Amino acid sequence: MVKLGLDGHWRGITTVSLILKNAGMEVIFAGFQTIESAISIAEQEDVDVIGLSIHSGAHIPWTRKFVEGLKKRKLKDEFVLVVGGVIPDADVDALREIGADGIYGPGSTAEEIVRSIQEKVKEKRI
Amino acid sequence: MFNEDDIADIKAEKEKWVEEKGNHKDAETFRVTPSGIEIKNVYTPEDVGNLDYLKDVNFPGGYPYTRGVYPAMYRERPWTIRMFSGFATPEETNKRWKMLLNSGQTGFSAAVDLLTFYGADPDDPGVDAEVEVGTTGVPLYSIRGVEALVKDLPIEDISVALVTEPMTAIALTSAYFNVAKNNGVPLARVAGTTQNDIGTMCIGYITRDSLEPDKLLKLACDLIEYCTAMKEAPRWNPINFTTYNYREGGINAVQEIAFGFTNAVDHIEELLKRGWHIDDFASRLAFHLSADRNFFEEIAKYRAARRIWARLLAEKYKAKDPRSTIMKYHVQTAGSSLTAQQPMVNIPRTAIQALEAVLGGCQSLHTNSYDEAICLPTEEAVKLAVRTQQVIMEETGVADTIDPLAGSYYVEWLTGEIETRILDYMQKIETQGGFVKALASGWLYSEMQRAFNERQNAIAEGRETVVGINSHQEKDRKETYAPFKTNALAAGVEKERLVKLRKERNNQKIVALLDRLRADCTENKNVMPTVMELMGEGATLGEVAGIYREIWGIWDLPIAV
Repeated sequence: MVKLGLDGHWRGITTVSLILKNAGMEVIFAGFQTIESAISIAEQEDVDVIGLSIHSGAHIPWTRKFVEGLKKRKLKDEFVLVVGGVIPDADVDALREIGADGIYGPGSTAEEIVRSIQEKVKEKRI
Repeated sequence: MFNEDDIADIKAEKEKWVEEKGNHKDAETFRVTPSGIEIKNVYTPEDVGNLDYLKDVNFPGGYPYTRGVYPAMYRERPWTIRMFSGFATPEETNKRWKMLLNSGQTGFSAAVDLLTFYGADPDDPGVDAEVEVGTTGVPLYSIRGVEALVKDLPIEDISVALVTEPMTAIALTSAYFNVAKNNGVPLARVAGTTQNDIGTMCIGYITRDSLEPDKLLKLACDLIEYCTAMKEAPRWNPINFTTYNYREGGINAVQEIAFGFTNAVDHIEELLKRGWHIDDFASRLAFHLSADRNFFEEIAKYRAARRIWARLLAEKYKAKDPRSTIMKYHVQTAGSSLTAQQPMVNIPRTAIQALEAVLGGCQSLHTNSYDEAICLPTEEAVKLAVRTQQVIMEETGVADTIDPLAGSYYVEWLTGEIETRILDYMQKIETQGGFVKALASGWLYSEMQRAFNERQNAIAEGRETVVGINSHQEKDRKETYAPFKTNALAAGVEKERLVKLRKERNNQKIVALLDRLRADCTENKNVMPTVMELMGEGATLGEVAGIYREIWGIWDLPIAV
């Protein structure tokens, strides 16, 4: 679970991390990271999912840059990439196009997020 | 407020009333406020029998200011309509500010961007300027940005709130002060506020690469010392304890005020340690509170807070100047209460919260726009939020008499109940060593996380109702409006502004002054005089914050999940 750049709205990432933990997942709470350091952690820890928490309105450019970073290291297909935060419905299609597998905007429930992540991990493993 | 015989009669009659109406069950059932206070079906003089009107309530403008800090309150001067606003570039924000001014806004409040908050320049290699400049607020990296922000606005007549924290508060305030001076407005006449709150920087919102809390406290107190104690900017509020931001992190009304007051106490102690008298600075310690969803609890909170603050300052700190004992505050309606679902419901939600603030006696007010659950507000949405305040101010008559809810058995009882709980919780924080120590130890973080989780569970389990979330849901949750987008080209504009500044300023002088700032930090001197010179010469926020980080290092947050 990662915060990119300077965006310090932390309530979302701490809460969702706890939700995933309570659902039985192992969560690496990485906090503030650069794109490169986040990918390195994901690789070293051999995670299934990378979660970006973005509350600055810059979810589209951050996700695009993150996907580029993954592609540069030929890791795009290694991880499920999910993005959460203050994301308008109007931006959901664009994020999916860029390469986000799961998008959790305002109003997403704990059950929705957990179920969606479990499904996407299952799909990826097949 | 009533004599014992009357109370005894009322008690007997109440028992009879319960008996006759057969409502035993209701009389024994409590409803619970978000702070955990149990509420009865009805309140009577019995519940406020111990209240001493002159001692505990008194008249508006009279100690302990339960009914308001001024004798005439809104009859003399309505609250200030102060909308928190900023995005993209200073030029675009300047346009929005003028639109707000033309719509009847009477004060300004600058929402700054992530780099301004952090203290980084757009060419900093550790920052992705293209992605982050101007996305959450206005970029104000030097005197040039501030000049563009207030262009054609009458600095001598307006009050501006600079919403940034100790890492950049002194630099940004200095930039503003220099702009005022360059426009021929002496500092003695400049009115406004710097948020300058260490709590905001560390809880609710967490700044990357922050300083340790005691260093932030030092910087915050430097600004208070310079502006108020040294009387350099006597009309400026050098700090605004922003309990609003703590509250948004998930805590309740009682915790909100207790966090804020214990934070203020640490600043008071630091300034007393520096040799000042309480009356040298206390009159300019300001607050920024939340207006959340429980109507009467919020109103009681404001009334109780004023009473606690007055007694704290007069009794514990022996303030003699009445201005030192009055608690002045701005209110913001609760952003966390807004829903992305059925966004128009945010309009009545905000209007009701604004009414709480007004009935509670605020000095200035920000009303959220209906679209703020998903984006910065559009012009149309923000104008509607201003109009909401104007309807309350000009149509409803709620401001015709002062503190109209005083004497309500319920409101007076609740005010006393909240007061007791705030004092208890303050004691709890004090046993942790006070606010700053509890922040450094991580205790405040765990309190906040616990409160937030509890609230989430309450909503998930239906113990707390949110219309559109767990009640009256609608399937189709598509937005009915186009979300506001900030200018994607802002980074280029800001980089160009910076290149030009660096070319035109006296760089040798800047280098020498930065050296002096290093020495100030090492020798624990007040950094404000040096930073005032630096910003006047064209230094940037990134350069100033860079020195703090270089000398003091970065704080490793005690936060874990």
